[in-house]
Amino acid sequence: MINSIVKKIVNGDPRDVARLIRDIDDRVPGTRDILKALHKHTGKAYIIGITGAPGVGKSTVVDQMIRGLRTNGKTVGVLAVDPTSPFSGGAILGDRIRMQRHSLDEGVFIRSLATRGQFGGLTQSTRSIIDVLDAMGKDYIIVETVGVGQDEVDIARSAHTTIIVAVPGMGDHIQAIKAGIFEIGDIFVINKADRPDAQKMLDDLQAMIDIAYKKFKKESWKPPILLAEAVNNKGIVELLNEIEKHRKSRRSLSRQAIIGHKKALARFELIDMIKSRLVEETLKRITNSHEFREYLDCIIDGTMDPYSACDDLISAKLNFFGDGNSG
Amino acid sequence: MKRQTDYGYDIKPVYTPKDIADLNYERDVGDPGSYPFVRGYYPNGYRDRIWTRRMTAGLGSSKRTNEVLKQYRKMGQTQGMLVIHDRPSAMPIDADHPVARREAGVLGWHGSSLVEFEELMDGIPLTGQSITLLGSSAMSCMRLAYIVALAEKRGVALTEVHGSVTEYPFCHTFGQTDHLPLDLLIKLWLDSSEYIIRNKIHMRCGILSQHFQESGGNNAQALAIEIAQLKELLGLLVNERGLDFNDVCLLPYELVSIGSRFFEEIAKVRALRRMYAKMARETFHAKTEKACQLLISVHTSGRTMTYQQPYNNIARCAIQTLAGALAGCTAIDNACLDNAYAEPSAFAARMSLNTQHIVSDETGVTDVTDPLAGSYFVEFLTNKVEEEAYKILQQIENQGGMIAAVKKGYIHNMMEESARKKQKEIESGERLIVGVNELVIPPEEDDDIPIQSVEASDSEEIAIRMENWRKTRDMPLLNEKIRQLFDDTKKDGNYNLMPSIIEAVKAYGTAGEIMGVIRMAQGFPYDPLEMIYCPFDL
Amino acid sequence: MSKRKHIKVLISVIGLDGHFTGAQIVSRFLMDAGMEVVYLGIYQTPEMIVNAAIQESVDLIGISSHASNYEQIGVLLDLMKKNDLHDIPVICGGTIPKQHAEALIKRGVSKIFPPQSTSESIINYIVSVVKR
Repeated sequence: MINSIVKKIVNGDPRDVARLIRDIDDRVPGTRDILKALHKHTGKAYIIGITGAPGVGKSTVVDQMIRGLRTNGKTVGVLAVDPTSPFSGGAILGDRIRMQRHSLDEGVFIRSLATRGQFGGLTQSTRSIIDVLDAMGKDYIIVETVGVGQDEVDIARSAHTTIIVAVPGMGDHIQAIKAGIFEIGDIFVINKADRPDAQKMLDDLQAMIDIAYKKFKKESWKPPILLAEAVNNKGIVELLNEIEKHRKSRRSLSRQAIIGHKKALARFELIDMIKSRLVEETLKRITNSHEFREYLDCIIDGTMDPYSACDDLISAKLNFFGDGNSG
Repeated sequence: MKRQTDYGYDIKPVYTPKDIADLNYERDVGDPGSYPFVRGYYPNGYRDRIWTRRMTAGLGSSKRTNEVLKQYRKMGQTQGMLVIHDRPSAMPIDADHPVARREAGVLGWHGSSLVEFEELMDGIPLTGQSITLLGSSAMSCMRLAYIVALAEKRGVALTEVHGSVTEYPFCHTFGQTDHLPLDLLIKLWLDSSEYIIRNKIHMRCGILSQHFQESGGNNAQALAIEIAQLKELLGLLVNERGLDFNDVCLLPYELVSIGSRFFEEIAKVRALRRMYAKMARETFHAKTEKACQLLISVHTSGRTMTYQQPYNNIARCAIQTLAGALAGCTAIDNACLDNAYAEPSAFAARMSLNTQHIVSDETGVTDVTDPLAGSYFVEFLTNKVEEEAYKILQQIENQGGMIAAVKKGYIHNMMEESARKKQKEIESGERLIVGVNELVIPPEEDDDIPIQSVEASDSEEIAIRMENWRKTRDMPLLNEKIRQLFDDTKKDGNYNLMPSIIEAVKAYGTAGEIMGVIRMAQGFPYDPLEMIYCPFDL
Repeated sequence: MSKRKHIKVLISVIGLDGHFTGAQIVSRFLMDAGMEVVYLGIYQTPEMIVNAAIQESVDLIGISSHASNYEQIGVLLDLMKKNDLHDIPVICGGTIPKQHAEALIKRGVSKIFPPQSTSESIINYIVSVVKR
């Protein structure tokens, strides 16, 4: 059963790939076993993260990147992540619109994903989905996320090359980049560069990179800044060239440095995986217990405050790690 | 129920002379036929010239549309014909494009080449009636080329042909199908307009302002936008193409939407004449009275025609037609009872033509010119909508004019906000629409009306014909003309493409091919949907 | 379908129909009802919609139709049959005359919502048909 699914995925059957991704997304039991079996087929794809605030034109940049990569004969998988509404739990996944012209191309697989507001679960399932696209044989996998929140930063961080997109004239953008995601950018793209403030933004960004580069001289890669008008396919060839350069620069690192990088990333990902598994399992245990329901009633009755309830539940339930009932 | 104009002015229960105390008749209104033309352009109104009573035609193949046109002529529509393009040829893509195969002729005439125009006009004169061909802006140059080519073939002097073939380049801003960037649309519009003016062809440019209002904009906004776009487009012809305003003024032909807010719609049209006259004199230094006159045609509002209880639309259409007649106009074409469903059926077409004739021939409104002049309320509303429109016009100017405002999304946002407000008013019951939120009946009890439709096989037939016909053309000649067009498009932006487009049309180049090659020369993909490739070796 | 916690639908306008307002309004209230909506916008061919539905593995397809191009919806239904997508219902909304609505139902559309259908009726229908 698992073997036949794995075989279909590796053969690149879009429907089986799509269904498995849906199962991962919906956390259907048993999916982990398929992922375990699939793991040995991964590691070939080059993963590009692309992030930036809403409205900067990320999807359009991705669309043009697909076009460029396809012209070079490369196959492409795209994972477009959009935020879930915290109020309803629903989401409008609209990134695909900009890329729909590639939907008839068998060398391209595009998938939208909602963040669903899980406890660190997004990074986890996104990584699993990247593995699936990798196993199906896509040469490049582009992961598009909105540049806000730790999850998105983590996703971008686990890419081989991370692109940060910004647009001029939105005032706070330099500020926004500085705050969270500036450090993870390998390439910066100033999109909609026909706008009047493009040059100023480029100068500001360059100054920031210069300062950061001075601070961490050991890094051999100095992030370039590109001007682009993705709508008119301007600056995209240059972007793809920079990605290749970055890819080569990674390869030219010393063996020790490469292993160091790999180890750091593997450590980061493993900890993340453990973290999300732990949270999930622990929460399940606690929230399924009769104590949890009792404490909940007490809070509602006013006979207990939530702080004490939390402390009590954790100390009462934390020793479950040792008990033999875990399955 | 809200007692407010659609642009938010609270209407009082009674109006008196005090409300128009500042009104100076000679200065602000004037007799019919004199500046500022609030009362119209003819001293004797409709006694001098009755409005053109016409229906939109266009469905299926050229031959089928030709039959409809002949049928309309028999129904009494002999002053002018109006044909609308289908969606593929408005884009334009040809009938044998993979997407067009299922849509050719669905919502209009599929006219993509001279051969189809020849079939459309078979047995119908080019002269003696106005020829109006509607569609998106990029197609203006194609339609003009069809007319020029056919007139030449028939040996008809171009100066004898009149009507309208050019449409304004903002169509796609207001939800019309068009796949060219605004700058290129404007360039092509300027080319065809300049060609018309320089060659003294009696063709007009239909400024389809109805679309703004039909997409949800209010009356004051519609008025402001009408003036803003005229100012910018006519300004480009004068300043960029070096034409004289006293020639340019013969070009525009404003299509205005008339909805159900009776007095407000009338006030808007009266104000439009005054605002245009002032602009012609003050901005463009018009030398003659004629140059201060804007030809205005009325389109009864499709937006107001409901899907529910469609026969109610006959009443709406009649009220709006009456408003158009009282406001003063040069032509009326009706959105009618089946507007929410399909292109007009023969029944709907007859109903709406009859409606126009009932208004013009039975009611007596054509006996006297601008009978509402002097009404405290109507004169007040005319001033009011003008005042509001000037405010909005100022905001558009502050954005850098109409083109800049469109590019910045300013116009679109304004339209959406207004549409949202209108929708809310309907949902909350502040505005009542019979059949929608008042006197509603269950859908299963609703009336069935005859529906005009195109069978899938019809679209396929048009496509197959196009596919086969293509192969019969003189390819070396066509290649040569296409090459010329491609090279010309790469020249300076003010270089007029009309001559090379006309040559390509005469060599039976199709709209998809001609616009595709222009797109390519400008650095865009040949096919707007990026599904097929350029068949020419360029 | 019952194992799914989230409902994922695809909303599109088909062919050369340029009326996107309805599709946007529907997408919005489906999101507010907790659904994940893959919104494709306008100028989508039946082939593009089918491929998107496969790649996104959606539970249902909704087509907003305001331009009489019913043959495009017919081709979509044919393509879905050809691709064995029998388990994905197709619903339509818009100004579809009764005669055409009946023909589309015969061809395989599972439900048609005329203008002024309430958002509740659409949401309830989707929930009932997807969870079935």
